[in-house]
Amino acid sequence: MWSDPSAGRSASLAAPPSSSAQAASGPTPGTSDPGPSSSSSSGPPKKPLVKLQRFGACFAKEAVDLNELRELLWSGVPDEADPSVRAKAWQLMLGYLPVHVERQVTGLSKKRREYRELVKDYFERSPEMRSDNENQILRQIRVDIPRTNPGFKFFGDAVMHGIMERTLFIWALRNPASGYVQGINDLITPFLVVFLASYLNKRDEDLHELEISEVPSEVLEHIEADAYWCLSKMLADIQDHYTFGQPGIQRMVLRLKEIVKRIDEALYDHLTNNGLEFLQFSFRWMNCFLMREFPMRCVIRLWDTYIAEQASGFSNFHVYVCAVFLVYWAPQLKMMDFQQMMLFMQKFPTEQWRPQQIETLLAEAYVLKSLFHSSPKHLS
Amino acid sequence: MAGQDEYDHLYKIILVGDATVGKTHLLSRYIKGTLPKAPTATIGVEFATRTVPLAVGGTVKAQIWDTAGQERYRAITSAHYRRAVGALLVYDVTKAQTFQNCTKWLEDLRNNAEPDIVVMVVGNKVDLVEKDPSLRQVPFEQAQAWAQSKSLMFYESSAVTSFNVKHIFEDLLQEIYTQRTKVKSDRYNDNSTQGGMQLRHNPPQRQAGCCT
Repeated sequence: MWSDPSAGRSASLAAPPSSSAQAASGPTPGTSDPGPSSSSSSGPPKKPLVKLQRFGACFAKEAVDLNELRELLWSGVPDEADPSVRAKAWQLMLGYLPVHVERQVTGLSKKRREYRELVKDYFERSPEMRSDNENQILRQIRVDIPRTNPGFKFFGDAVMHGIMERTLFIWALRNPASGYVQGINDLITPFLVVFLASYLNKRDEDLHELEISEVPSEVLEHIEADAYWCLSKMLADIQDHYTFGQPGIQRMVLRLKEIVKRIDEALYDHLTNNGLEFLQFSFRWMNCFLMREFPMRCVIRLWDTYIAEQASGFSNFHVYVCAVFLVYWAPQLKMMDFQQMMLFMQKFPTEQWRPQQIETLLAEAYVLKSLFHSSPKHLS
Repeated sequence: MAGQDEYDHLYKIILVGDATVGKTHLLSRYIKGTLPKAPTATIGVEFATRTVPLAVGGTVKAQIWDTAGQERYRAITSAHYRRAVGALLVYDVTKAQTFQNCTKWLEDLRNNAEPDIVVMVVGNKVDLVEKDPSLRQVPFEQAQAWAQSKSLMFYESSAVTSFNVKHIFEDLLQEIYTQRTKVKSDRYNDNSTQGGMQLRHNPPQRQAGCCT
């Protein structure tokens, strides 16, 4: 059935976010079901509260059930949640925070000690000990850090630059097959924002004017270590995205092309007839996971789901999200020529997007993925 | 958007060179007249166009592709060279390594772009050496001699002061036009002439101090 590319497809994608509410429940049967369990009579407004309780109950167990957490996190941490909920959920799903509650405190302090050792071994060596290659990596990182600007003032602070410099440099040296690749500086920022929000007990949206000098140095040390380890865990599953020739990314671009051809052949034809190549616009989508396309609040929501998806989130599933995102703009794109499309896709009008719109994309991507998985031959 | 956009020629130009030599800054200065507001490392390619009246030959629309410079991206970046008829090969006059790497970039261009691609070597960031001459690591004469030996055009520039920015783009476009009409008329007059035409002369150098 899916082999018939329909114009109706793109129409449904352009629908307002609210219409996808029931589709969003797809991956998490039961979780977003509008609350017979929530004894209250007024359904929708209570939903986040029910979900918050479920997060609370999930964390309160002796050992967190990752399958349960996966379902909860997949459909997003509610706005109403305590800022620590997201940080904790991410750290658990990434395998950084131990699932056994009684081991969490010691587990974290052990990893933070380990990180301090790494800083000594890799970063605090005398500069003469560094190889040319290491110096080159460090130089590039130092150039890129000040121009990492996900819209928060504190990313311009020297103390924050130090944190990013150490984490990125150590990661690069410990992962020589990829080393530091531009764009990885973007990827550490959601961790820093979410973990800072958690420690300071503020919403990430309230951190825009934060001064780093207001943050105790002990907190900064913890955040640095936590961000380092979580970035490492995340990148461990997608190593071939950043190795020579970037085979992982090439594969994703190719797959995106196949999927779009299948779901909106008219759009596919329009792009290719105009000489547009998928690599031209989607390489950055793959390399930076749409971070350059969305404001941070949306990126964080996207990562709830990607982290919940574990190994496939930042690879396989992301391609479906990209496909849905591209097809979302089909009505506009189909009216444009090559030049207009290139310029449009360099700066999508997404600055005002809210996490709810990301949820629409995610829900559609989930449906798409299920359809393709139930009929894999369509892609062969 | 496209209405008044009339032109006689459409040329694809690519900006290549090591990371952080200032490719995106040069493009922004040329297209918008300003430096990027929130500069970030270029990932993949970025695209811009400008329609320019040539001194000779009518109006040309330049499709300019700004590429990522980091080593890891090279394999993929070269996929964007196809059908490019002109290239700005940019280095940083304060970083010798970025000039040494021009040899590798030139090889990539020769392997992946049009065989008769016109290449302009650009030593960027001269504003830095104007402030502090000791920062210069690539002498003007050295780069000029290298460009000459490879039959490439050459300029020094500064995206920060706008020095030579207009010239590097527009002299390149003019030269592409000249080469292409020359190839055509050569073909018309003498069928034995093949593509792969190279520049036989260098453009007049505009020394530091003469801003555009």
